Amino acid sequence: MNLHDELIERLARRRSAQLGELSPAAYDELLLAVREHPQTYVDDPEDQAFMQLEQAVARVLHSRESDDLRDDDAFMEERTKRMARLARDCADALELAPNSTHARLLGILAADLEPDQQLDALMELERELDQRLGPLEAPASGDAWNDVFAHGRLRVYACLSRTCLDTARYRMANEYGQKLLGVSPSDPLGARHTCALCLARLEDEQGFGELDSRFGHRGDSWQQLARVILFYKLGRMPAARRALKGFASLCDGGHYALLRPVMVDTYLPDRPAAEPYSFQEVTLAVHEADPVVCDVPDFCAWAYEQDDFGAQAEAYAERHGYGW
Amino acid sequence: MSYDPHREDYQRLGLRFARSLDGKDPAAATRAFASFGRRFSQNRDSLPQSDADRAFHLVAEATTLIDYELPFADDAHAEELIERGHRLLDEALALDERCHDALRMKQAAESTSFESYYDFLAKSADDVRAACEEARAQAHDESPERALLEADIAMRPYYRWLATQAGKAVICGRNREAIRLSEKLLELDPQDSSDVRFTCAIAYAKLEDEAGLDLFAAKTKPLVRAGTDDAWMQLSRVSLAHKRHDMREAQRLLAHLMATYPHASAALAAQKELPDGVFSRLAVAPFSEDELILAISEGTVLLQEGRDDSGRGVLGTWVARQTGLDGATEARR
Repeated sequence: MNLHDELIERLARRRSAQLGELSPAAYDELLLAVREHPQTYVDDPEDQAFMQLEQAVARVLHSRESDDLRDDDAFMEERTKRMARLARDCADALELAPNSTHARLLGILAADLEPDQQLDALMELERELDQRLGPLEAPASGDAWNDVFAHGRLRVYACLSRTCLDTARYRMANEYGQKLLGVSPSDPLGARHTCALCLARLEDEQGFGELDSRFGHRGDSWQQLARVILFYKLGRMPAARRALKGFASLCDGGHYALLRPVMVDTYLPDRPAAEPYSFQEVTLAVHEADPVVCDVPDFCAWAYEQDDFGAQAEAYAERHGYGW
Repeated sequence: MSYDPHREDYQRLGLRFARSLDGKDPAAATRAFASFGRRFSQNRDSLPQSDADRAFHLVAEATTLIDYELPFADDAHAEELIERGHRLLDEALALDERCHDALRMKQAAESTSFESYYDFLAKSADDVRAACEEARAQAHDESPERALLEADIAMRPYYRWLATQAGKAVICGRNREAIRLSEKLLELDPQDSSDVRFTCAIAYAKLEDEAGLDLFAAKTKPLVRAGTDDAWMQLSRVSLAHKRHDMREAQRLLAHLMATYPHASAALAAQKELPDGVFSRLAVAPFSEDELILAISEGTVLLQEGRDDSGRGVLGTWVARQTGLDGATEARR
C-alpha cells in the first residue's frame, strides 16, 4: 500500500467513525468521495500531518527519479538538500501532531544518522510508543495491519529490524522481525525478508526452515539469496550450488544484481514495491543483504565461478546496456 | 601458549639425542648431554637426526622469515624474505614429503583466496591426522616422560592444521564449522596448545550464541590464564553486549579489557589488521600489548561488521570512539 492510498483510507475511516456504522456500500461510496477530494476530509491534525508527510515523501521519490542523470557530486548535493527538506517537513508535521508516529519515524530516517545512532533513535521511539500505547499485541482481528492507524507503529518495527541488520545485530533484527510477523502475519512490510537474511547470517538452518514453511515455501528474492548464503556458510556446497542455480533462474538478472550491487537510497519508510522475482526486487534483496554478503568474503567470487553464473551476469549486463 | 617452532626443533633433537645415550653409563651420558645445547646451536649436523627433523628445522627457519620478519620488512626486502622462506619450505618438502607444516605454509601463500586455502585444509585434514597418528604409534621410548613428549610432538602438525582450519573457517564466514573444528581439537588436545579456544570464542560471538559461549567458557575454564579472560574472549563478550544493544555492559566490558592489557587504548583505536602467522598464531607474551594486537586483528571479523561508511565497521567505530583516541588516530591518517 502506498502512502497516498493509506491517507485515503485514514480519512475515510475517521469520517466513517464520525458518521456511525456505515454499510459496506456506503463506505465504498465515501471512499470514492475521499479519493476525489481528500483535502476536504482532513479535519484531524494527525491526518493533516500525514497528508503533508505523504506529499513530502512523494517529492523526495520524484526527485530520486532523476538521480541516474546526476554525477556523484550533484547527486550527493541533491540528496543532502532533499533529506534536509524532508527533515524540516517532518518537524512541521510534528508541530501539527506531536504524536505522529510517521513524522517521528521519517524524521529519524531523514536525519541520515549513522546506523548505530539511528538504532538508538528508533529504540527511543519504540519505548515512547510502548509507554503511550502499551505493548504491541496482535489484535482480535488477527492482523494489526488491518488497522490503518497502527501502520506507523508497525513500520517502526520493520525499520528497527532492518537497522539492527545494518548494525550487525542479527539476532535482534530477527527478533524485531518475528515480533512484527507475530502481530501482522500477512507481513505487508516484508519483515520475513530481513529475518531470512539474518537467519542465514546466523547459520540457523532450523529457524530458516521454519520461516520458509510459515510462508508456504512461497519464496522471493531475499529467501532465494539467503538460502544460497546459508548453505554456503554451512559448507554444504552441492546444496549451495543448487540454491544458486535456483536464485539465478528465478530472479530476473539476479546474477548481475549480486555481482554488481548498486547503491539503494534510504527507504521512506517502506521498502519500494517490486514485482516478485523482478530485477528491481532482487536489487533490493542484494542491497539489504550487503552486510551479510560482505561477511563471507569469497562468496561472490565463488558464485561467479559456478557454471555459467558469471557469464550469464555479463550477458545480462550487455543485453540491458548496463556497465560491467 | 602458542607454538614456538625453534623450541619444538630443540625438543625433537633433544629427544633423539637423549635416546642415543640410552644404555650408556650415566656419567658419560650426563657429560654428553651437557654439550647438547652448544652442539644444537653451533654444530647441528653433529647431532643425530632424521630427514623429518631436518625438514622441521627448515620449517622453523622459514617461520622466522615469514611470520616474524616479513611483517616488519620494507618492500625491497619483503620479496627476498618470501623467496628465501619458500626455498626453505621447498627444501623441507624435498627432505620429507610428509612435512605437513611445510605443506600447509606453502599452500597459504599459493592459495588465491581464503576459500581455496580452506578447501585445501579441509580436503587433506583426515590424511594429516592419519599420518600424525601413525607417527605417534611409532614413537617409542624407554622413558615414559619422553614417550609422552614424543607422542605430543608427533600430533602437533595435525593440531596446527586443525587450528588453522578453524581460523580460516571464521574468516570464510563458516562459524559453525569453526566451532566444530575447535571442539574436535580441544578433545584431542585438552591442554589447547594451539589456543584454538580463542578462535572458538570469536565464532560464538559471530553466531550471537551467548548461551553457547557461556557453556564453552565454563568448559574451558581450567585453561584460563592468571584468572583473567584472554582478549579474544573479552572482545567476544564486548561484541555480544554491543549486538544485544546493552551499551552500558559493552562499555563496562571494554573498560575491563582496557584494564587487562597495557597500552590497550592505542591498540583498540588503531585496530590494525595483521597477516595471520602461517606456521601458527604468533608466539607473544600472555597479556602483553602484542597479544591484544593479535586478538584485535583476529577480531576484525567482529569489528568490521555492518553498514558503516568509515570502513571500520559498526563495532569498530564504536570501540575506537570509546578509547577517546579516535580523533587523534584519524588526524594522523
